[in-house]
Amino acid sequence: MATLTRTYQSTRKGNPLDKVRYGLKGYLVHFLLIVGLALTLMPFVWMILASFKVATEIMRVPPTFWPENPTLNNYQTILQDPKLPLGRFYLNSAFVAVANVCTSLFTSSLLGYLFAKYEFRGKRLFFGWFMLGMMIPGTLTMIPGYLILAKVGLLNTLWALIVFSAVNAFGLFMLRQFIETLPNELLDAARIDGASEWQVYLRVVLPQLGPALATLGTLTFMSNWNAYLWPMVVITKVERRTLPVILTWYNSQHSSRPNITMAATVMVVVPILVVYFFFQRWIVQGFTMSGLK
Amino acid sequence: MSASTLRAVKRRQSGLAAEKRRFVLGVTIPTLIYEALGVLTIGWALALMFFEYSSGRAGGPILGLGGSNPFVGLEHFRNMIVGTSLEARLFRTSLKNTLIFAFGVLPLNLAITLPLAALIESVRSRLKIAFRAIYFLPVVTAGVGVAMMWGYIFDPQYGLANAVVRLLGATPIAWLSDPRATFLGLSIGMWAVIVTRLWSDYGYNLVIFIAALQGIPDQLQEAAIIDGANAWQCFWKVTVPLLQPTLLFVCVMTMLDAFQVFDIIQVMTQGGPNYQTRVLMLDIYENAFRYQRMGWAAAVGFVLAILVMGITVVQMRLLRTEWEY
Repeated sequence: MATLTRTYQSTRKGNPLDKVRYGLKGYLVHFLLIVGLALTLMPFVWMILASFKVATEIMRVPPTFWPENPTLNNYQTILQDPKLPLGRFYLNSAFVAVANVCTSLFTSSLLGYLFAKYEFRGKRLFFGWFMLGMMIPGTLTMIPGYLILAKVGLLNTLWALIVFSAVNAFGLFMLRQFIETLPNELLDAARIDGASEWQVYLRVVLPQLGPALATLGTLTFMSNWNAYLWPMVVITKVERRTLPVILTWYNSQHSSRPNITMAATVMVVVPILVVYFFFQRWIVQGFTMSGLK
Repeated sequence: MSASTLRAVKRRQSGLAAEKRRFVLGVTIPTLIYEALGVLTIGWALALMFFEYSSGRAGGPILGLGGSNPFVGLEHFRNMIVGTSLEARLFRTSLKNTLIFAFGVLPLNLAITLPLAALIESVRSRLKIAFRAIYFLPVVTAGVGVAMMWGYIFDPQYGLANAVVRLLGATPIAWLSDPRATFLGLSIGMWAVIVTRLWSDYGYNLVIFIAALQGIPDQLQEAAIIDGANAWQCFWKVTVPLLQPTLLFVCVMTMLDAFQVFDIIQVMTQGGPNYQTRVLMLDIYENAFRYQRMGWAAAVGFVLAILVMGITVVQMRLLRTEWEY
């Protein structure tokens, strides 16, 4: 009945909201939205255009908007810089991001399953600990984290960016929420058919988690790919650095040549934008439901 | 059911319970061992702030505390309040700037995102998805990338900002390096990082507001409009009150992130000009890893952590109110 009324209301001509939606005000709304869109895109456009400008043009005051003699030289300069083995830094960033995605998907789903479907002594306390861990900000743990890595000799290795993030409390909460909705009958049916608990997890629970794992995976990937402070603290050897850190280092070497630094920025920023366009739905959804950034 | 089958079922059940117990232990024990690392980290963090600590000195037998890294008790905290040394003054400047930054970003962010979300929500659905996707782009962009882009926009000679200023016939401004220029009582450098932050961040709150607006049934607004309310009244008297829980969530998240701002400031201004954009995270980073004053940095980190956790707890309290419509 409710749906009926609703359909009736929204198809009938006199829907009072239509006046706001499609009337003269509608044009104003669209105009405002497009202005906002332009302001959102402008820094990207400005960066991309600058990356195609030649050295003499970039130094002009006032600056030009469209490149007069568009060139790919800036990108060539970066790719051919012997002091800048870019492939290396892409690999470093990708390795750290993929490793963290794998560990956090595994531990989040396993612990999420444990907290959703099992009863055991100390469960509440254990769960509370993870909740506390989620509340404690990185400001507090950064210094001892660094000292621990120094003690065990993991500074200046990519492992330094992996060892502390094996358990992701956000992911654990998210997947626990999700797994709680799976019917117990499904799990019991597998048990009656002779599946062990691990098999239940691997063959029954995991295959149901597709969308949730995709969301968590893309969020983890992006936050690792974009991370700056922690990689800068624990890795000081140039060839072990990740992309964002190398970008600021490169910037400090070429600060008076914005065409080159903007081309470098494009090369760091664009891969994540491509990922974003493919997984847009999941990413936006994931950000809103997890409160993660 | 015969006695023998009953026994078999019982045996099977106890086998299942044992199997489950083994699974629980198999998962919890490695996790507990791993979490010991977390306990060590937090314990060490809490201990550090009572010491004069540098990783360059050997110090005492337990975690390097004591010995040449002497115990100073609450000295760091006393210093923060009444100290006259450079680091104490810088701490107070950083705390002040962090608060200015957070309380500057929050209202401006809401003033942009809430009306914008209402506008997006009022257009047709296919466009809505496109708008939302593009407005979200800055959120997924690396903070360092954002800082690089805006650093170039604010470049005094070649930047876009000053190109616009010249077009309007005004004198160009050294956005990121003029310590004397102010606007509405805030230094121009602070404005530059606030604007950068707003741009990089507003897509997030926008998406949350859109989701919340979608959760409000059309009938409520329709009823208000039938009763003679205009769109403006409808927005303020119907929509906004219903958004209260979302508003609270958004305020808290925005504050939390603003308190911990680092990337854009470290890249764009390094805390300058004249410490006008130095924030707590930068203060902690420089003390700990540039000047090796790790005890002091841990104490500053503790203050920031208390601020951040305080906000989280207040949020949890306030969010307990249940809303229904």
